[in-house]
Amino acid sequence: MLKRRLSVVALLAAIALVVAACGDDTTESTAATTTTQAATTTAAATTTTAGETTTTEAMGPAALVCQVSDTGGIDDKSFNETAWNGMLQAQEQFGVEPQFLESTDATDYRPNIDSFIAQGCDVIITVGFLLADDTAAAAADNPEQLFAIIDYPVIIPGVGPIAPFTETSTNARGLNFNTNEAAFLAGYLAAGMTATGVIGTFGGINIPPVTTFMDGFARGAAYYDSVKGTTTTVLGWDVEAQDGLFTGNFDSLDDGRAFAQNLMDEGADIILPVAGPVGLGSGAAIQDANAGGASVMMIGVDADMFFSAPDLQDVLLTSIQKKIDAAVLNTISNVLVLGALGNEYFGTLANGGVDLAPFHNFESAVPAELAAELVQLKADIIAGNVSVSG
Amino acid sequence: MTAPATVVRSPAEIRRARRLGITYIVLAAFVLWVFGMGSLGEGSATFKLVRPTDRFKDFPDLVLPAAGIAFVIAAALAAFGGIQLTRGFKKLSNVVLAVGFILFIFAFLAWAAAGSSFSLVGMLDESVKRSVPIAMGALAGVMCERVAVINIAIEGMLLGGAFVAAIVGSQFGSFWALVGATMVGVVLAWVLAVLAVRYRVDQIIVGVVINVFVLGLTSFISQRILNQNPHLNNATLLRPIKIPLLGDIPFFGQILFQQNIFVFAMFILVAVMTYSLFHTKWGLRSRAVGEHPKAADTLGVNVYRYRYLNVMMGGAIAGFGGAFYIQGSVGRFDENMTAGKGFVGLAAMIFGRWHPVGAMAAALVFGFADSIQGKLAILKVPIPSEFLLMAPYLATIIVVAGVVGRARPPAADGQPYVKE
Repeated sequence: MLKRRLSVVALLAAIALVVAACGDDTTESTAATTTTQAATTTAAATTTTAGETTTTEAMGPAALVCQVSDTGGIDDKSFNETAWNGMLQAQEQFGVEPQFLESTDATDYRPNIDSFIAQGCDVIITVGFLLADDTAAAAADNPEQLFAIIDYPVIIPGVGPIAPFTETSTNARGLNFNTNEAAFLAGYLAAGMTATGVIGTFGGINIPPVTTFMDGFARGAAYYDSVKGTTTTVLGWDVEAQDGLFTGNFDSLDDGRAFAQNLMDEGADIILPVAGPVGLGSGAAIQDANAGGASVMMIGVDADMFFSAPDLQDVLLTSIQKKIDAAVLNTISNVLVLGALGNEYFGTLANGGVDLAPFHNFESAVPAELAAELVQLKADIIAGNVSVSG
Repeated sequence: MTAPATVVRSPAEIRRARRLGITYIVLAAFVLWVFGMGSLGEGSATFKLVRPTDRFKDFPDLVLPAAGIAFVIAAALAAFGGIQLTRGFKKLSNVVLAVGFILFIFAFLAWAAAGSSFSLVGMLDESVKRSVPIAMGALAGVMCERVAVINIAIEGMLLGGAFVAAIVGSQFGSFWALVGATMVGVVLAWVLAVLAVRYRVDQIIVGVVINVFVLGLTSFISQRILNQNPHLNNATLLRPIKIPLLGDIPFFGQILFQQNIFVFAMFILVAVMTYSLFHTKWGLRSRAVGEHPKAADTLGVNVYRYRYLNVMMGGAIAGFGGAFYIQGSVGRFDENMTAGKGFVGLAAMIFGRWHPVGAMAAALVFGFADSIQGKLAILKVPIPSEFLLMAPYLATIIVVAGVVGRARPPAADGQPYVKE
């Protein structure tokens, strides 16, 4: 009896551990799972290099480009997914083989990076500010391995290295975005479009790549007010205090619903969620409210969410595009063509690295005058006539 | 409930009562000084009681002088402290505690909203919604622990329910999603029951194993299958149902009678469970099984059958509660989306003293703590956002560690029964 009882528990525990390990994407499971991954996602590149020993083709083994995503997941319709799209574009253009590992936790970052180093990736792209410490450490430990990190400056020309990166971090490239320029335009647009005079935003975590959206958005609305003499209340971000409304995570869709509802209760009719997939929950809440007679719009982030989140097309006024995919593609192309990472990348309105997406379904709702002002404002920001950082 | 007839208090209880009384007085002083003095001259706090889409949207706002309300609440808290120190509240202790907690929060809100306004109806509506999975978890816990089976696996049941609700809901609609979620809860509970009741394995260990198993399995499938097939993860929402007439009542209608099916199910479940547990043959026998299984067995109650059935019913409740995350919230499964709410549910069960009504009340407190931080950030209170995010967990720790006191679980809780 006792023996049987113990064996049942042991069996269940063993299954639990195996499955949990697969779900966590730890090193052990990498070889097996990424192979199936590549097989399902790549139709063209059949050279799945699990141990990179067996496959030999005329072209030689395809370059291996690897992405470590943050906790939002590769299908977050915004941040991580845009980076992954850059990898897929590289696959199309250069025939590289893209692979990804999802981090479910901050403790996954380093093991994921290490397992990619062990696989011999040509370049490892770490997606996000939060991975800076682990990326810097891995870059220092593996001077031959090339890295690119999104949303964190590595060595700014004329300024020097940004901690935790050092002078020797020449094997890493920062991909940065002046998102506040595009967010400024979105704020201006929102202030011009709101019927209630109240617009709202919330973020995932209070870190610069998130708050730059919120800050630009609030300042853009304030700029509209100063030009037009209107009064627009921006909820969820306090420009002076540099603090505001945060969910504290990048994955709870229920938080996204609750926070959007909260902002709508306070009268906001245009909402900018800056928290990756959490915004999908906000979109659902807005659709729900609109079905009940409200008239609320949402502004997407990172990708043009009109295409990445087609379910939300009826509420998306526009999106603040942060073209991570272009930066990723540029990095991979540098590595393949030049054999080097290239200089630090800064995406701006001027070079098209950040932009305001088209209005799509709301094309006719946005007054022609306001649209023209936005075009002018964009030119002014590029020319430096209007400051987006106050 | 089977309260002992004698009211002799142990030294520990007396110490606790004294501590509680002092806590009330400290809180009163805090409210007086920080909130009262802090909002003097700040003007009134405006609480909006209706939404602009309501039928009676012109219902007046609640406008209160922020400083005045703080002084009143400070006086009330001081009175609570005085009574607690002298006479004690006896069985009402936790109710008074909850009231004191709400009053303190209200003073805090008035201070935060002094000179501006915010939607009270929105916050309370959100509190109710956020309490649903917690309450369902707590009710599942009550079902199991009343027959002396500790169910740590509630978290896993919620998550499993959410996962199945997302997939089934995307393919076959909401009704089957609810059925599927409930069934998966039953299956997980059956596993728990087999191991805990039949094989008498340590119940905590079984619960933890089930949690890890469900988390691992759902995360794995989510990453490998749902990511590539978004059509499998796109369920329709169940829209709020407005009860005619009652739903139009300003303020209360919006919070209580204009909700989705999960909220109504929560209210109905609490009523049904309270009646069944304390006024039916089944309830009496269940409680007997939890308090003294041997006596129950002697009198001809099939202890194993009751444990199996009640644990599986508990699982059904938890699985159904998990569907809230999909059909009641966002329509899309995400890894570990329950984020520990099942454990908060267990805390609510203990705070609610293994009683359905208490469990729901406790869940409402936690739901409230969950929804409050969003409001505070909008009101620009001078507290860093990171601290505001701690509010729900702070509430849990204070409630469970500090002030619940001696909550008596069913006497045989956690002990397997061996029929001789």
